[in-house]
Formats: sequence, C-alpha cells, structure tokens
Amino acid sequence: MASSGGHTFKVVLLGEGAVGKTSLLLRFVENKFNDKHLTTLQASFLNKKMNIGGKRVNLAIWDTAGQERFHALGPIYYRDSNGAVLVYDITDEDSFLKVKNWVKELRKMLGNEISLCIVGNKVDLENDRHISVQDAESYAASVGARHYHTSAKLNKGIEEMFLDLSKSMLEQSNTHSAASGGSSAPGSRGGSTRRQVVTIVDDDDRPERRGCCSSS
Amino acid sequence: MSRITKSKTIKIDESVLLCKNGCGFYGYPAWKGYCSKCWREVFSKESQQHDAAKQKRGVQPFGRRQSPQPAPVDAFSKFEEKKKVQSEKRKQTVRSIFKKSPQNTLQEPMAEKSVRKVSAEIQQIGEEFADFLKSLRKPEAALDASKQLKYFIEKIQGMPDSPVEDLSESVVNFYQSLSDRIHSKSIYKGLSQESVDLLMDYAEKYLLIRLYRVLFCPLTTDDEDKDLAIQTRIRSLHWINVHLLDAQIDEQQGNVAELIEKAITSIIEMDTMKAPQQKLECIVRCSKSIFECLRVSKGAPASADEFLPALIYVVLKANPPFLQSNIQFITRFANPNRLMSGEAGYYFTNLCCVVSFIENLNADSLSMPQDEFDRYMSGEAVPHDPTKQYSCEGLRLMHQNLSSLGELRSQLECLMAEALQLQQDNVDFKENFKREIGAVMLRTPLVLKPRKVKVNIDEEEDSDVSSRLPPPLMPEVVGVGGILSQPMISCNTQSSDFNESNNNGHSPDPVEFGEFSSHDNPL
Repeated sequence: MASSGGHTFKVVLLGEGAVGKTSLLLRFVENKFNDKHLTTLQASFLNKKMNIGGKRVNLAIWDTAGQERFHALGPIYYRDSNGAVLVYDITDEDSFLKVKNWVKELRKMLGNEISLCIVGNKVDLENDRHISVQDAESYAASVGARHYHTSAKLNKGIEEMFLDLSKSMLEQSNTHSAASGGSSAPGSRGGSTRRQVVTIVDDDDRPERRGCCSSS
Repeated sequence: MSRITKSKTIKIDESVLLCKNGCGFYGYPAWKGYCSKCWREVFSKESQQHDAAKQKRGVQPFGRRQSPQPAPVDAFSKFEEKKKVQSEKRKQTVRSIFKKSPQNTLQEPMAEKSVRKVSAEIQQIGEEFADFLKSLRKPEAALDASKQLKYFIEKIQGMPDSPVEDLSESVVNFYQSLSDRIHSKSIYKGLSQESVDLLMDYAEKYLLIRLYRVLFCPLTTDDEDKDLAIQTRIRSLHWINVHLLDAQIDEQQGNVAELIEKAITSIIEMDTMKAPQQKLECIVRCSKSIFECLRVSKGAPASADEFLPALIYVVLKANPPFLQSNIQFITRFANPNRLMSGEAGYYFTNLCCVVSFIENLNADSLSMPQDEFDRYMSGEAVPHDPTKQYSCEGLRLMHQNLSSLGELRSQLECLMAEALQLQQDNVDFKENFKREIGAVMLRTPLVLKPRKVKVNIDEEEDSDVSSRLPPPLMPEVVGVGGILSQPMISCNTQSSDFNESNNNGHSPDPVEFGEFSSHDNPL
C-alpha cells in the first residue's frame, strides 16, 4: 500500500512463453535474498524492496502467462500497472514480434503513463542471435522504451534493468502527482482515480480488441 | 342455497346480481361481479398488462425468468452437483425476496426475517470491530470512526435503487475520505501505521458485511444472469482435461489429487464469505494449493505460464457458485489498494483472467479443430486422456487405497522389526543388569559390614548415650569450636553462650551511637 511510507509499483512481466521471464524474475529476487530464503512456492508474484536515492520503493512484479492462447487476457493483467518489462529471446524472432504487439497494446491502453522496458534475454546465446542489437535499440527508442540485454543464466543486466525501471516509474509518479496537484497521499489517490478511468477504457475496449485478435 | 339466493333477490336489484359484462349470466362477488367466463377473460388481460408494466421497469416476473433454467438442468442432470442445485434454490429465494418486494405488501416481514438471519454475522464483526476500537485506547478516534461508518451505512441503505456504479464510487470514495480523515485529523494522531491499516481493514469489513445484502449482486445489475451464464458454460465444458489446457498437473503423483481437491474447496468457499478480504483469502488459499501441487508435479517453483492453466482447470472442476457476482462484488467494493498490487490482488486478477478465458473459450484456445471441439461440446465424444488409466473414479480410489495399504504394510513391518529389536534390547538390558548387579555384589560384599557396625551403634545408643551419640551431631558443634565429645546438653549450653557473646559483641554499637550523638550536640 502506498500509505506505508514508500512507493509501491506494479510491474507486469510480459513476453512469449519460454523467453525466460520466470528465470529473470527468480534471478532478480534471488540476488537479494540468499538461497536458503528462496523456498518460494511460486515464481509468478514477487515483491522486491529497493532503495532508490533514499526513497523506498516496493516492486510488486506480476508474471503473466505467455502462451498465445492467453494473449487476450493481457488487459486484465496490466491494468493499473506502473511499469512493464517486455521480454524477448534474442534467438527467437517471433518473440520480438510479440513484444512489438504488446508495446502497441500497452501504449493504446495506458498511454505514456506506463514505463516500458524492452529486454533481450539470453545474451549468453550470442552466437544464435537473430535480432540485431541495432534493430532492437532503435525500435525501443522509437516507442519511448528503454532497451536492455540480460542473461538470467549469467545474472547479467537484470538488477540494472529493474533499477532503471524503478527510477523511471518514480519520475513518472512524481510528475503525475504534481500534475494532479497531489496531496498528502498521492499514491493511493492517483491509484483510485486511475483505477476508475482505466476500468472504463477496459470495458469499452475489451470486446473490440478481442474481436481484432481473433480475426488476426 | 336456493333459499339464500331467493332472499337476496328480494333485497338486491337483479342488475347487480348479473354479470358486470352484461352477458346475461349471473355474477359473483368473489369474481368482482363478473360471471366465471367473463372474469377469466378480464383477469388474463389484467395480468398481461401487469407483466408488461413490470417489464417496462426492467424487472422481469419471477416465473418467467426461471423458465429457461430447468432446461439445462435437465440436460445435464447427470453432471449436476448438489451444490448447484442448492445455489439455484438459494437464488430463487433471494430473487423472490428482491423481485417481489416492490409490489408485494408482504415485503416487510419477509425483509425483516432475512435481516435477522444474517444478523449473527453482523453482530460478530460488530463485536470484533468494537473490541479493536477499544484496543486503540483512543475514545475520540473510535467514536469518530464509528460515527463515520454509521452515517455512511445509513446513506447507502437509503439509496438501494441507485446504479451500482454510483454505489461503488461512493464506497471507494468513503475509503479514501476515511483514510484522509485518519491522516489529517488530530484525534487520530499517534496511531501507528499498523493500527491505521487495521482500522481501515476493519472499517471495510464491517461496512461490507453490514451492506452485503444491498451490495452483493444488486437488483440493478445483470450479475445474476452472468452467474447463470458462466455456470452453464462451465457445465458444458466439463470434458476439458488437464492435457487440453497444458496444465502440468500430474494427478497420479503423490498428494496432487488431494491438493486439487483442496483448491476446489477453497474456491467454492469464497461464496460463503462476506467481506472481500475473506473472499480474497479463499482465492489465495486456492492459489497456494495449486502452487503446491504444481511444485510437486514439476519439482520447481511454478510461474504464471503454469499457474493460469491450472487455475482454469480448478475453476472448471469447481464451478464455483455466484462466480461473477463474487468477482464483481470484490472489484466494485474492495479497497482498491488491496487489488492493485498485493499478492491477493494478483491471484484475484488471475481469477478474472480465468473467467474471461472460459467465457471466450473456443476451439482455437484449445488448439483443436473446430469440428472436434463441436463434438465434445455436444457430448458426442469425450477427449482421450492419456494419463487417466482409470476411466472410473472408484478404480482410481482403489488404486490409491491399495498403494496406501502397501505403504502401511511396509510401515508395519518396519514397526515390527523395531519392536523385536526393542524386545531384544530389553532382554539384553536385563541380562546386563543382572550381570552388573552380580559383579557389584561380588565386588562389594564388605559394604554389609559397616552397616552391621552401624546397627551396633544404634543398639549401643540405647544403653550408652553419652559416649556414642556425638558423631552424628558433629557438624553442628564444629562451628562453636571443637567440642566434639560433649553430649547434646552441653551443646545447647554452648550455643546459648555463643548467643550471649554475640550480644556482647553488639553492645558497643549503642555506645558508639551515643558518642556520635554527643559529638553532634555541641555542633
């Protein structure tokens, strides 16, 4: 809850099945907790506390089911989220296309309020690379997202990526609360009003979006 | 009879007795002065108008609304579980209370009765809340909070017919204003963050339990229809198995079947709870069981990729009553903070996803050809389930029981072996003990001699006290100073001497004090 002193951000993890979302998540949380604490029953919802410039930030990271059949459920997952991590596998072109779809959808539904991170995972398989670094980075820049290369296997770039994402969400929430003349509890107020706005958008949009999805 | 009519004809004009319609037949007071035939006509016309009026107001007549229901019930009576029947029965009673009340003059006693039924729960939460407020030790704050709540509850109760969106908005605004009030008002100062959270939590619980009847599945919405629709939908999807969903649940393994059973129970339990927190707890419990069972099946922590299909499977198996109403209730009236980021919020979101998936499920989403899907839907065929070795639940149970019996047997054998071992140990111990004792007896036969000597002493004690008694008293006497051979009496005298000497030792003190005081006086 936003009232507990720090900021709470909801981050959704999007990406095709088997791009390594879960390993990424586990790796990220594992860094802070040592191994014996990782008696995690599940790796789909994880909380991570961070300290950014003296501000306490709590990341609630939501993993999403990546299978194609669940694609239409995306809006239910990412509503009200402050950030999204879009993961693709650098050896798999399809997964990158999928990321592009997600980006389009997220921008359409949540506008610029959401901070996006595009993540090329599995850089340990550099030899099998199918997505060129340049392509990915220029695409990310064109949609106002940041691009990262990570490897859950080698534990590379993950911490950094989440750190940058948190910073960007913090900025976003500050500008947001400043714009709305944020009072004593900017987080919760912003949240409750936004919730209603998004709910309406979602209701209007859901059948339409599903329609286009099933036709494609 | 004839005599009565005759007497009436005398008093009343014949036109009054005739049918009001003027058909020539006699009328009857119970038929409002119509003859039986005309009355039937008039009545049917009237009731039609009545129905039309009701429909115009968006309230369908009770009987008509029910009529589509029996068909699916009959068609799927085989799969009909008891709980569904119960829930439908309940729905009927609930509906009859709600739907009839606007026109029915009997509404008041009925409404009262229903209030009385739930009052135990309200009372309980009321008491809990009061205890909590007392524990805060801030009477003004407690008074203010309960006043706010009371006022708000009255306000909501005063607007039962307003659209649910308005109700939802005012409830959410109430949470916000209460939270703002707690943070800004001075009477709430000094409360720890923890108690503030608890206070908000209790307020939400109390508010929604009190208003449950008004806010759960309200009249103005079509939640009820959606409930029925999803229930029928799930019933028609009964054939979906774990493999079609790619859910990695291996029901043959360990206690997976049991865990699935647990998850199903938890999700069904959701409807029996009133406060959103409690409902969410049920969802969390259900999810935890699923994760546990995925961990058993897979041997690693499960991700959303595995969790969602498993949850879909559980929901399909459970067919929870009032699923849509419950989801809507939580979405509309739970504190939004709860749903936004917490773990419960995540599982709840997954449940919403499941419902949406089930509603929109088609051949594509199961990646099978349309005609195959149609065949399953129509009940012509049942999909093959490779892991289901047993077509019959009884066989599966038998297998399970056999394996647990085998386990029991091996445990029993183990126990037997241990018991034998214990017995052997016992015997060995006994032998050892005997041997030890024998050895000790052999080693220390002399021990008996001093005892004999002692006995001799005792005997001698009687005859000659003064010479033999002192040794046992030695410790007492030693302190006084080496008078060992003195008899008991002399000991006592000695101790009294000692006391006297003590007194003598103390005697200087008063003298000293006296000296001090004499010193003090001149000063």
